[in-house]
Amino acid sequence: MPDTAILLALGKIVLAAVATALVARLLRAPAIVAFIIAGLLLGPATGLLEASASVHVIAETGIVLLLFLVGLELSLDKIRDVGRVALIAGLGQVGFTAAGGFALSFLLGFSAIESIFIATALTFSSTVVVVKVLRQKSELDTLYGRIAVGIFLVQDLVVIVVLTVLSGLGRPEDLSVPGLARSLGLAFGGMASLLAVALLSSRHLLPRVFAWMSVSAEGTFIWSLGWCFLFVVAAQYAGLSVEIGAFLAGISLAQLPQSTDLRRRVDPLMTFFVMVFFVALAVEMELGAATTQWKAVTVLSLFVLVGNPLIFMWIIARMGYSERTAFLTSVTVAQISEFSFVFAAVGLSAGLIGPAILSVIGAVGLITITLSVYMILHNHWLHDFVKGRGWLRIFNARTEPEATAADVAPRDHVIVVGMNALGRRIVRDLLAEGEAVVAVDSDARKLAQVPCRTVLGSADLPSVLEEAGLERARLLVSALQIEDANTLLAYRCRQAGVASSIHAFDPAAIDELREIGADHLIVSKGAGTRRMATLFRDMGVVGG
Amino acid sequence: MIEIALFMAGGSAAYAFVRWLNLPATPLLLIIGFAVGRIGLLPRDLLQDALVLGLTFLMFVLGIELSPRQVRAQKRAAVRVGLAQFITLGLLGLLSALALGFDLVAALYLGLALTASSTLVIVRLLQQRKQFFEPYGRLVIGVLLLQNVLIILLTPVLTRLPGGWTAVAGGVLGTATLVVLAFVAQRWLTPAIVKLQHEEEVLLLGALAVLFVFIGIADQLALPLAAGAFLAGFSLSSFPLNALVRGPLTPVVSFFTTIFFFALGGILSTPGPQVLLHAVVLTLVVVVATPIVVTVVAERAGFVARPALEAGLTLSQTSELSLVVGLHALLLGQLAADAFSTLALVTVATMVLTPFLAREQLVRRLLQMHPTAGRVAGEAHHDQHIVLIGCGSGGMPLLETLLAEGASVVVIDDDPEIVARLRDGDVDCVHGDSSDPGVLQKAGVQRARLISSTIRRPRDNQHLLDLKPQAPVLVRVFDEDDVAWVEQCGGIPILYSEAAAGEFIDWFRSAYAGPAGPNPRGGFTGPFPTDLDRRPQPLPGE
Repeated sequence: MPDTAILLALGKIVLAAVATALVARLLRAPAIVAFIIAGLLLGPATGLLEASASVHVIAETGIVLLLFLVGLELSLDKIRDVGRVALIAGLGQVGFTAAGGFALSFLLGFSAIESIFIATALTFSSTVVVVKVLRQKSELDTLYGRIAVGIFLVQDLVVIVVLTVLSGLGRPEDLSVPGLARSLGLAFGGMASLLAVALLSSRHLLPRVFAWMSVSAEGTFIWSLGWCFLFVVAAQYAGLSVEIGAFLAGISLAQLPQSTDLRRRVDPLMTFFVMVFFVALAVEMELGAATTQWKAVTVLSLFVLVGNPLIFMWIIARMGYSERTAFLTSVTVAQISEFSFVFAAVGLSAGLIGPAILSVIGAVGLITITLSVYMILHNHWLHDFVKGRGWLRIFNARTEPEATAADVAPRDHVIVVGMNALGRRIVRDLLAEGEAVVAVDSDARKLAQVPCRTVLGSADLPSVLEEAGLERARLLVSALQIEDANTLLAYRCRQAGVASSIHAFDPAAIDELREIGADHLIVSKGAGTRRMATLFRDMGVVGG
Repeated sequence: MIEIALFMAGGSAAYAFVRWLNLPATPLLLIIGFAVGRIGLLPRDLLQDALVLGLTFLMFVLGIELSPRQVRAQKRAAVRVGLAQFITLGLLGLLSALALGFDLVAALYLGLALTASSTLVIVRLLQQRKQFFEPYGRLVIGVLLLQNVLIILLTPVLTRLPGGWTAVAGGVLGTATLVVLAFVAQRWLTPAIVKLQHEEEVLLLGALAVLFVFIGIADQLALPLAAGAFLAGFSLSSFPLNALVRGPLTPVVSFFTTIFFFALGGILSTPGPQVLLHAVVLTLVVVVATPIVVTVVAERAGFVARPALEAGLTLSQTSELSLVVGLHALLLGQLAADAFSTLALVTVATMVLTPFLAREQLVRRLLQMHPTAGRVAGEAHHDQHIVLIGCGSGGMPLLETLLAEGASVVVIDDDPEIVARLRDGDVDCVHGDSSDPGVLQKAGVQRARLISSTIRRPRDNQHLLDLKPQAPVLVRVFDEDDVAWVEQCGGIPILYSEAAAGEFIDWFRSAYAGPAGPNPRGGFTGPFPTDLDRRPQPLPGE
């Protein structure tokens, strides 16, 4: 039989993840927490799974896809205006948290070198966790979401500096000033060049080549992944993290007209890979000595959960942002990163710290990641709660919120899917009736000819209908000549309680569409035949 | 990471060629994977993982798409054509492989592999030509579904052949168990998933959980991975679950299948002269035998020459499934590396040939060689009559209107069932293909006072319009692009899309009187087009 070890490992991961996710759903716990618990069950608890090299590749691909997606969602204009706050707050927080963490660890009785490791581990927040939760909440695009992403990217840059220095720690001969300067120079030079390539290509190269490819959705998808991994490899070569490469690749594609459709395609792929990432993360967690160190674990976790946000709250409030924005941003940093485990593992293998420190960091990671997911999910409630107690007054921040562009979501509109000859006419006639119309098609060129609000994407995907505002629509019309898509649209409209009018281009499908619950059928064959019969009459062929 | 980057770079290159040459992706991925593999860039262990994962997802999605619903009226014809094609190609493949000197087991595998036609290639072709829902398109889809099922059921038997009859019996028993499980799951388990959640993430992970459970069971029963994944897909194939899962699953599948074909190219050995020769022979078997068998049987099942021939040419390639079967045999050591390379070459060649073989020009040229294509049954000696071309569900109401008026009508249709039924009702018919000048002549188009064509493809009226009949010619048209063409040729285009949009707007106005009108859900019962309820009697197979 073929070597199916990878299937066995993935099978265990998927089944454990789905089982825990179902239980978590009953308990209203977030999926990430469920995945981490699944990993703990498979790894430390039972030893059922040992993460192989292939599982690591899949997990790392998950990180790449997630950051690629973040880049796709945040075009450059959106993060440019948060650049300053991200840089200052990111660097400031790194400094304060590192200092505080070191002092705290030293007071808890760890040695100086151990304290350095613990402090470094506490400094960084998990981009993957926060971005995943913010995406789920659809708040990645808010002001605080963008500041948070900016801060994480700054942290990532600091991570590179630290990792470069750290990789020298184990081999003192590399720890020379010129050697470090060379590595850091390569990293920052690489960063600058990648950024330049991303910006230039997004303006001059990508629009043209992707327009050429746009006839094939699958081709566009594979091309975008090719572009993403090209940046990832380039970033790795420059000693940067894969996250930065993937993010920049995403940014450079974000301006394309195809970017919304790309997002929808990358999303499910990311879901699968990131699930593997979280499970694999927990599988490898070393918690052995954590129980004996429970005091240190508790104190350090509290520092991350409460101290870190306080530091942030203070910095961001100083920069003139409103109390709410500062608070919501601060809540996102209340966990440590998967990098923290990497540091600790490097330190362990270099013989600088013992396994006990690894366990402490692992336990702090588990606790803070799990709790901070809840904190971010309920951040607005948390804000109101804390504000109600008057605890936010000490920060002396602006209380009036920032002005946000009002989202003019369509309402009581008609969605027309499929811009073929029929769809275009229906759109035109509905506009003439004074209706608000949203046109949907998977071909950008067809949408370009339609004089109304448009959504690009395959109507098979629920996110496309969501963007078209299905829940608030008065009617959905499908002019498509694709049977499966039409039955699915009729079904989705039924589920959403929205009226539907579906093109029954083959009368053989009439019964089925009615059964599924289409409210009206456009039988184009019937209509055409009736027109022919009218013409017969006009020509005097038949009386009437 | 560098390996995944390499896979994606190869995939990107392949898709550039797909776009440039308008060819299917599978052969191009194989070729580029082969080239990269020759340079020695692909690490062996990762290739193995890519193959296993890709195969799993490919078979899973084939299983999910196994819904006979799409075949509609052509079910019986599809079974006849499919069985005939399967048996003929299987036997021819087996015999040719034996004649070429392969051992019996290898020849059996090659025979089985040659029976499959490619879902990936054909679905793309039919979608590009918008012929997916034409009767011949539905026939082809039906044949594909049947092939997939037969091959999945036979693979476990073949893999156990060296173990003797008891092993084969065990394989049959195991497969039967898995099939029953899949039916049970489809009937009772998966509807529960639909009720549970519509959130994409949950659906995707739930579908994957079903996949891995089936793979696990297949593994326990020592059945091929492909069978487990396919039947897992089948258990999710009922509406609406199949449609709901398709959205989130499509990108995952296209990622893994891209990697799969690329990796498959990477493990191929460099073909020597003997492999090339074998590949040429087997390619000829597929390309020559398939159209002949399919055309003959499809005609006997009621199709006229042209769609029958189109179905035959469309089906004449080997499939991704052939590669999956071959890969299984290769990994089990039942098929030599050279034999597998032969199979891959045949697949690349036939897939690349398909878009050229199924071209309209070739269909027309082959029709001239067809012994019975020009033969026409029935002749009309009318004068000043009305000619109706095409009398399916679209043309029937017209005919009824005309007959009610006592008009003199001649019908041209290529569907024997429709013609027989009309003749029973004493309607004058010419049975044949309306793009055939002989047929038009028999219907007396030159003496008619009016000609109305409701056939699907407007350009098929070329011959009719070229004859420049005295009578006005009304032509059914859906796309605006065809309007100018019809007018240029002297016809009167009837724009169905405009007519349909007009009726839609009438309905819309009546259903939503004014901007604050009632929601149709509030007690409104839509005026369905009632005259279409009197549809013709069901066609054979329903």
